[in-house]
Amino acid sequence: MTNIATDPMIRAEQISKSFVLHNQGGITLPVMNNISFSVAKGECLVLSGPSGAGKSTLLRILYANYKPTTGHVFVRHHDEVVDIVHARAREVLALRRQTISYVSQFLRVIPRVSTLDIVKDPMLRRHVPEAEAESRAKSMLERLNLPERLWLLPPSTFSGGEQQRVNIARSFVDPTPIMLLDEPTASLDAGNRHIVMDLITATRKAGAAIVGIFHDEVVRDAVATRYLDLSTLKSAA
Amino acid sequence: MSHDLQTEPLLEVKNLSRHYGARIGCEDISFSLWPGEVLGIVGESGSGKSTLLRCLAGIDMPTAGDVLFRHDNAFVNIFTLPESTRRHLMRTAWGIVHQNPRDGLRMDVSAGGNIGERLMDRGDRHYGSIRDHALNWLQRVEIGSTRIDDQPRQFSGGMQQRLQIARVLVSEPRLVFMDEPTGGLDVSVQARLLDLLRVLVRDLGIAAVIVTHDLAVARLLTDRLMVMKDGHVVEQGLTDQVLDDPHHAYTQLLASAVLAA
Repeated sequence: MTNIATDPMIRAEQISKSFVLHNQGGITLPVMNNISFSVAKGECLVLSGPSGAGKSTLLRILYANYKPTTGHVFVRHHDEVVDIVHARAREVLALRRQTISYVSQFLRVIPRVSTLDIVKDPMLRRHVPEAEAESRAKSMLERLNLPERLWLLPPSTFSGGEQQRVNIARSFVDPTPIMLLDEPTASLDAGNRHIVMDLITATRKAGAAIVGIFHDEVVRDAVATRYLDLSTLKSAA
Repeated sequence: MSHDLQTEPLLEVKNLSRHYGARIGCEDISFSLWPGEVLGIVGESGSGKSTLLRCLAGIDMPTAGDVLFRHDNAFVNIFTLPESTRRHLMRTAWGIVHQNPRDGLRMDVSAGGNIGERLMDRGDRHYGSIRDHALNWLQRVEIGSTRIDDQPRQFSGGMQQRLQIARVLVSEPRLVFMDEPTGGLDVSVQARLLDLLRVLVRDLGIAAVIVTHDLAVARLLTDRLMVMKDGHVVEQGLTDQVLDDPHHAYTQLLASAVLAA
């Protein structure tokens, strides 16, 4: 039995991943071998290592976006522990709705949907009342310096930095207990980068377990409580 | 996994096959669908996806297998139901959005009448409230209220498709089947429809099965994906996992042939 009070939020056990490319002669590309770690509430684990070390691959495995070749990822979901690698699709969907979010550097949304609706959407999915969702969305957009004249427009014509802030607003307006961050500050100017760093730290201190990838050293050192260096962990497969 | 998960599926499909003589339409398909879930079926032309959808929706009879639908807290086998009961279910609990809007609309009945008809099937009788409902739905699919008395033949293809969707969704079906719902529409109309469908699934908790060959549509609209080839399901799972980390050779080919899906 697991102990809910002391269990980590994420416990990854012996994760290995290789890609088999069937249309390129069936070659196998090993990416990582036998990686284990855990992340507790209030921690921000930063994945480090050079390009190609498997940082993004590992983050995607934690979200069940990629399937590891072997291994388990145990995730705390309310008062249960679920292996996201072997959970059924609908269990993963429930986890993603309530427990685990993935924030990439790109905003991927249906065209024509307004910025405000995009930021409200995850709250409405969690049954937050419409009026409350609206006011929380607005104050988050304000906090991220997105001018009010943009709120009713779809973000497709916004600059890269503005789109990224819409993405961050949507993910941090009602943060989940586990947050996976893949370069969320990549195209922000210095001022907004600081606001997002503060947001990440405040979310962590409020109890979230965070795993992130940040190329910017200033951001990395400001938000990290611990590092996982994939270049040293990666053994020859 | 008790939170937010209804334990009983809405639809259970067991070992469904449809043969046309010696030729396979679809073979040995099994899956379950829960309320609020959107399942996408992708594959190229001739892969069997429309055949499967027609069997699921009760339009076509399978050669073997069962489709069980949860109705009044019991599972009914839609192929053994009396014809009249099946027709009633099709008009009230299910909605079918056809690829060609002409197959789903009454072309000689006004736009308002096309929407109102479904409400009357459901038992609504008050003319004023039916008309209000129809106006509200025309607005939701962005057809001007002045067009309520026009016949669909006077509409553009994109407007006909939006009218068909309004006609299907007005009665708030629990399960919707869609065959290439945005095929042949220009990009801005497509986006409008995708957003409408997304909001309806979120707010009404309807379940849907969507056949499409457009992987970008599948990614934006569906939770789970089945990939079909030559009548068989070759890969299935979470939509983003199937598209981003495909394991089957055919899915890898399909996913790599798309620009930024």
